[in-house]
Order: sequence, then structure tokens, then C-alpha cells
Amino acid sequence: MTGLLASAAACEPARLSDLGTLLQVLGEFLSLSLFSLGGGNTLLAEYHHLAVSQFCWLSNAQFADLYALAEAAPGPSSMLVGLLGLGASWREGPFWALITAYGAEAAILVPSTLVMVVACLSWKRLEHSPWRVAFERGLGPITLGILFAVGLKILRTADTNTPGVLVSLVVCGLMLRTRISPLWFMAVAGVLGGLGVINR
Amino acid sequence: MTEPALAPRPSLPELFWGMLQVALSSFGGGLSAWSQRIVVEQRRWMTNEQFLTGLTVARLFPGPNQINMAVYIGADFHGLAGALVALAGMLLLPFTLLMALGLAYFQFHTIPVVDRVLAGVVAAAAGMALSMGFKILDQYWNDRVALLLAAAVFVALTWWHVRLIPAVLVAAPLAMAWYWPHRSAPP
Repeated sequence: MTGLLASAAACEPARLSDLGTLLQVLGEFLSLSLFSLGGGNTLLAEYHHLAVSQFCWLSNAQFADLYALAEAAPGPSSMLVGLLGLGASWREGPFWALITAYGAEAAILVPSTLVMVVACLSWKRLEHSPWRVAFERGLGPITLGILFAVGLKILRTADTNTPGVLVSLVVCGLMLRTRISPLWFMAVAGVLGGLGVINR
Repeated sequence: MTEPALAPRPSLPELFWGMLQVALSSFGGGLSAWSQRIVVEQRRWMTNEQFLTGLTVARLFPGPNQINMAVYIGADFHGLAGALVALAGMLLLPFTLLMALGLAYFQFHTIPVVDRVLAGVVAAAAGMALSMGFKILDQYWNDRVALLLAAAVFVALTWWHVRLIPAVLVAAPLAMAWYWPHRSAPP
């Protein structure tokens, strides 16, 4: 854990007030938008790479916290990108943080939205095209591989003690076997954290 | 059972309020079920069949599924403008709420109690992330090529640290070539 913190501290946070950096960041999110297969969760590891390793806005622990917040709050979990935007500009104050958050969310949504609009308008032609069939069947297994990589990456990022990892595994099992709302798991685990059973 | 007649095509403000209602109703989960209930049953903007086609399209193309569904509904009635209005209606409330939470987080996360509770919540959230792959594993269980592809992508991302975009750009054409539909025998 100390090793991770040291490497995070050594890296200089990228500032969005620099135009070159801003354009680079925008470019990254705009292009990721087109690769959000399988409902967008496939991008989580990339978000981690950008926010923690490449642009150094957040520590590992902060990224894990924000991911948990986005999962706990109502609405699609891809809104995590807005939270990353907050983190990227938090040093400039809450006003700029909010502007960045809305900008980041727009950047991740607009390209996929445009593709979706074109797809809706031409669906009648697309529906029976062999391209559509191959795309749908071929990208399924790729999504599967990405989701496993993402799950492992988030587990490593959470970086909790042994009881914490056990809780993660139990929650994973319960998510697959039961239809209990995940908010309950988060609430119980939050209490265990408050009592000091789970820590990082 | 007879299908009730469809309502007239919604205006842009109606689209916005309809999507806002979907977002509000789904606080606590079940977004897709709520959007079906409101769009098909209450407001009768679409038939159930149209709605299900929309879900297929939303799942197929990049982007979060529920957001793509809003885009589909909006685009179906008013093209790009409709899509953007539906998107705004769907996201406005949850996004604003999440940003308020986020601001509170950055303000208070260094307080030890907050950090301790969050460490617990993070452990549960990691379990949720871990379950995503297992959730769709079943449907590929009998397809060896699919499992091999998934394993290759996993290894590339996890051990070789390949970034997502190059990994997909290499794997997708191979997978699409393998799964290209064979011409079915003429009837």
C-alpha cells in the first residue's frame, strides 16, 4: 500500500488550465466513448489508468471511493466520469471542478450518442446485415474478457485487508445468487469499515 | 389482448419530462423496467415491440445501456434534438445529485471516520465489479472459441498491460471474422 501511495505522490497532476493538456484529456475521453462496449462498465480500468496513472488527479484510494459512490448513487454508473472530472479540477476550487465534471461527462457521452442516433435512423437496413450479426456475436466474448480484467483491477485498487477481500468475494457471490439490492451490501460493509473490521 | 392505441407523438418538452419521470422513479434501481412501464404502459409513446427493439439497439452499440435507450426513444421521435433532450431529462437529476455527493466527498474524505466507512463500502463495491464478468459467463460456457477469446483479452489487459482501445482494435476483427454468419441454405 505504501508503495502505491509513493508512486502516486511522485507523479505530477496534469492541469487542465494548460490548453494542450485539456485537448489531450478531451481526446482520450471522446475516443473511449466509442469503445464503451457492454454498457460502459468495460471502461472502468481505462478510467483508472487515466485518472490515477496517466494524469495523476487521484490516488488509488480516492478512485476506489469515487467508484463506490457512483455505484451507490441512483442512475447509470458511467456518471463516474463526472466524479473524475471533479477530482481533476478540485485544486482550482469547486466552481471549476463542476465545470470540468459536466464537460467530462459530455465528452464520454456525446460520441456514443451520435453513433446511437445514426444506428436508430438506419436500423431497418442494419438489422439483417451480416456486419450487425458478426459485431454482436464477436464483441460478446471480448466484453467478457474485459469485464473480468476490470473486476480484478477494481479489487486490486480497493486494496483492503483480508476481511475486506473476503467481503468482496461474498458480495460477488451474493450478486450472482440473490436479487438483494447491492445498497444493503454497501451499508453492511460500511458499518464493518466504521468498526475497523475492514480497512486499507 | 388488444394493444391500446398509441398516444400522439410527444413534443420535446414532453420527452424531457417523461425521461425525468423515468429517472425519478428508478431511484433505488430497475431503470429499464421503469422506462418500459412509463414509456409503453403509461404514456403509450411506443408499442412493447418497438421498445424491445430499442433495447436490442441500445445494448448493441457503445455507450451505457440505459442512456442509449433514452437516446433511442428521443431519436425515434425527433432525431438528434430528441436524443439530446431525452438524454438531458434522464441525467439531469441523478447527475446533479451525484455531483453534490462528489463535492461533499472531496470536502470531507480526509476525516478518519469517513475514510474508515468508505473503506468498507469500497470492499462491497469491488465485489460488485467482480461479479460483472461472472454474470455473463454462463452464456459462453459451451463456446470454446468465445472462452479462448475472452481469456486472451483478459491476459492482454491484465498481464501485458495492453490498453483497451488497441486490445479491442486487434481482437474485434478476429472475433467478427470467426462469427461471420454463414449463408443459410436457400429455402
